[in-house]
Amino acid sequence: MGIIIAVISGKGGVGKTTTTANIGLGIALNDKKCVVVDFDIGQRNLDMILGLENRVVFDMVQVMDGEANLKQALIKSKISPNLHFLAASQTKDKSVLDSEKIFKLVTDLSAEYDFVILDAPAGIESGYEHTIEFADRAIVVVNPEVSSIRDADRAIGILDSKSQKVKDGSEVLKYLIINRINPKMVQSGEMLASEDILDILNVPLIGKIPEDKGIIDASNQGKPIILDTNAAAGKAYARIAARLCGQEIPLENVEEPENGLMQKIKEMFA
Amino acid sequence: MLTKQYSVKVFEVTLEDENEFIAFFDKNYVMFTNHLISIYGDVSTKIENYLQEKNLKYIINTELPKNRVSKNSPKLQEIEIEKAPQKEIKKPVEKIQDNLKVIDKLVRSGQELKISGDLLLLNRVNSGGSILIEGNLIITQIVEGDIRCNGNFMMLQASSKANIVFHEVEVDNRYLQDKLNRVELINNEIRITPVLKETKWA
Repeated sequence: MGIIIAVISGKGGVGKTTTTANIGLGIALNDKKCVVVDFDIGQRNLDMILGLENRVVFDMVQVMDGEANLKQALIKSKISPNLHFLAASQTKDKSVLDSEKIFKLVTDLSAEYDFVILDAPAGIESGYEHTIEFADRAIVVVNPEVSSIRDADRAIGILDSKSQKVKDGSEVLKYLIINRINPKMVQSGEMLASEDILDILNVPLIGKIPEDKGIIDASNQGKPIILDTNAAAGKAYARIAARLCGQEIPLENVEEPENGLMQKIKEMFA
Repeated sequence: MLTKQYSVKVFEVTLEDENEFIAFFDKNYVMFTNHLISIYGDVSTKIENYLQEKNLKYIINTELPKNRVSKNSPKLQEIEIEKAPQKEIKKPVEKIQDNLKVIDKLVRSGQELKISGDLLLLNRVNSGGSILIEGNLIITQIVEGDIRCNGNFMMLQASSKANIVFHEVEVDNRYLQDKLNRVELINNEIRITPVLKETKWA
């Protein structure tokens, strides 16, 4: 059985979908079978970020309703044969979701794949509750600012009370990703420091992603930034994917602005 | 002959509309139980019975000797009392400890702890989280959310984001920021004492 991971944030626009796409691809590049599922019914975006928008024929609602079978609806990534994608319905809304059907869908997927990654919708309504319902783990994506932290806190609270694992007396493992860190703003104290965020949310950190202008272009092109081995954000996502696959990689401090010369001197003395 | 001299608080009121009068006293009579009510106007037996029923002391159309009389304005100023106590402040439980609960759980945004006894919380209260408690409250980590406490005392440290209400009075959290503070109700006054002082080892 594969691991079902929900990517959540509470607040919108913090980089959930980008994170889902990059981590999904990163896991696939680590030779694990991975499927990413867009649960943002009615507002699908993940297909574009993965560069697969022209390949969507059937969506997950049609699979759940039996109008198409799973094999027909799964789209293979052009980049890695290990990565598959299941699109959200663009025409329906979240009211079509139903616990029994979702349970069947995610169990079918976890039988085939090592990782099943669910991209949750923003907010904390029924669409979100359905995404987390059968998750084994959750990746919480936040930006270093107060409203994102509070919304994530609320989303975690719901996860800790409404997921099936919790109802069964178990716990949903959670990981925190701090996204869009602007090193200069953290240094000047305008952005919340990671330690403060960890204090508030009490979720173990799995990675920090620096702000990277390349991400917008990468999304527009449908080529996730993880493919750009020079981009700081791409490298950060690659490290997170490797950690999820069980590799021990120390956390890097992305909050210090890179300084070429200093870096070289440090390496000399190391 | 035995004599005694003392001052009495007088509440003056002109009676114009009986219903308005009764409505006002229905709402506020608790405040005037220790006052002498001086009424000007035609006082019917209905009003008198009402005042007796509420156990209020009153005098009717009596000119009282007073120093500052506003003779120019014979019509008395209308008094608006906004903050009338709906109920008397409940006497907190005298026991120092009442059914103590110990919880080590992060109170997250949107979560609410409702507790009838006492609580020792060994974790944070995040912004957007809240605790409603009838008993005493001790929180060992910082509070950034909402607290409603009706106990004898609270001990906590709160950030500027917190909203702390103790016996229905908002506590200014400027006084709660640095250290663990003891907040208690003494003679209807809220007293805040910082309890963790830096230990200076000689």
